[in-house]
Amino acid sequence: MEINIRNVSMTYPNGKVALKNLKLNLKAPSLIGLLGPNGAGKSTLMKLLVAALMPTGGSVLVDGQPLAKTDRILKEKLGYLPQDFGLFDELTVSQFLDYMAALKGLRDPKAAIRKTIEEVNLEEKAKAKIRTLSGGQRQRVGIAQALLGNPSFLIFDEPTVGLDPEERIHFRNLFSRTAQDRMVLLSTHIIEDVQSVCDQIVVINHGKILFTGTPEQLIKSAVGHVGVFWEKDAFQEQGLHITARVNTSQGIRCRAVASKLPAYAKEEEPSLEDAYLYLISKEGA
Amino acid sequence: MIRIFQYECKRLLWNKFFFGILLILLFYGWQVLNGVTILGVSHTAPFSPWSFGDYLSRMIPLLWIGALFFLTFFTSQKAQRVTILTNATPVPIKQYTFARCAAAFAGTGLLCLACLIEAAVFYGQYFGWYRWGQLLFPALITFIPPLIFALGSGWLLGKYKSWLIYLWMLIPFLCMTLPLPNAFGIWNGSFFKEYPLSIETMDPSFTLPITVIIVQCILVILGIVLLVLDPRFLKKMAVK
Repeated sequence: MEINIRNVSMTYPNGKVALKNLKLNLKAPSLIGLLGPNGAGKSTLMKLLVAALMPTGGSVLVDGQPLAKTDRILKEKLGYLPQDFGLFDELTVSQFLDYMAALKGLRDPKAAIRKTIEEVNLEEKAKAKIRTLSGGQRQRVGIAQALLGNPSFLIFDEPTVGLDPEERIHFRNLFSRTAQDRMVLLSTHIIEDVQSVCDQIVVINHGKILFTGTPEQLIKSAVGHVGVFWEKDAFQEQGLHITARVNTSQGIRCRAVASKLPAYAKEEEPSLEDAYLYLISKEGA
Repeated sequence: MIRIFQYECKRLLWNKFFFGILLILLFYGWQVLNGVTILGVSHTAPFSPWSFGDYLSRMIPLLWIGALFFLTFFTSQKAQRVTILTNATPVPIKQYTFARCAAAFAGTGLLCLACLIEAAVFYGQYFGWYRWGQLLFPALITFIPPLIFALGSGWLLGKYKSWLIYLWMLIPFLCMTLPLPNAFGIWNGSFFKEYPLSIETMDPSFTLPITVIIVQCILVILGIVLLVLDPRFLKKMAVK
């Protein structure tokens, strides 16, 4: 599967420009992490990819065919978890998944539902009404409906929100396994999730792509721009973006990213989070 | 689509609202039957199609509210949040809409059936009268057109703005207060009271003037058209 985003722009009817001339090529199998601050255009991009919105400029091609004409074919291969979604509270977990299976046109829904419920660790709640579930369990139902029917293209918008650390690790591993033979697009604010599983990263801000490449390439781009220093030594903080401030017995130890590190800062190996923050701060400057 | 229809029926019918409106409907119906219908309408027998039609037209406002309440299960803001998931599936929108509206129609049909069964019990208990087949035509012509129109118009309005559906629930009450032309008399019950008197025969058989038939047919057609009309069309019109 291949998705080609060609000069896509999106302006909402209220005049808000969400995406500007976006160019991106996505190929399966891969697990792509989509990073960006709030309002960067990530959710708009995802809505365009599931044909919930039509771009005001440019086009999206799926396997060489325009999405506008083949949206039904794409939806047959699609599993989508939006950031904000609702569930039918009156139904049980397995009934809701059976409902979604009917909409997806699955031939053997029972086996698919059983498998998906196991994957998201909801066996004990399979017969529970959705209204009785916690926020994390509802999120897992959302993930389950996206995974239902083994779609070849999965889009997850903030999938690990509301999950505890153990569950997050479980789902990270699940996404990684899923992406072995498919394309998974993962939008998140949690850099750790991206670092652990994604083989490609797309950083987006103000509707523009700032970076595409591997996590290693992003980290490499920040070498020499991350440093640590004692707060008491810092006589000026202009141009510095402090990413951590730790209280120790010797004083406050700071970690910062900057285009040019000050002399009092000791250079450090960048993490993916440092590299991401450096990229965003560079664009802001 | 049968599975979707079954699940939607379960959502609509297995809840407090359905049983609540059913109880209110039966209670109100029993009051009408014992207070108005028992005396007969326009010098006709209590079990004449005219008296029966009068009873049915008095039930329309509650059935209208019931039909529109069923639609709120699909058009409320909470329901719209599920639409984000269902819209990402390959199901054709028209088929899905049809399955959901069929469930709302089935729910409304059950409420209508409850009204008819209640009348049947009343006629059997008080008058030993069991020729219900005679009442089938007045029941169909009274209930089906306004309820199809309720579902069609409510669906479109609810998709456009979810709160409009609650405002739309007041329409039959407005109709009851307005001096509607005879052709619309089924809506406020005036037809069943006034038309038999205009025929000038004792206990006239049940007939409908052509204008009433046309209005009822228009309501059915309009209801279906509104049901298949895309709410985006309405939004575009509003923008223009």
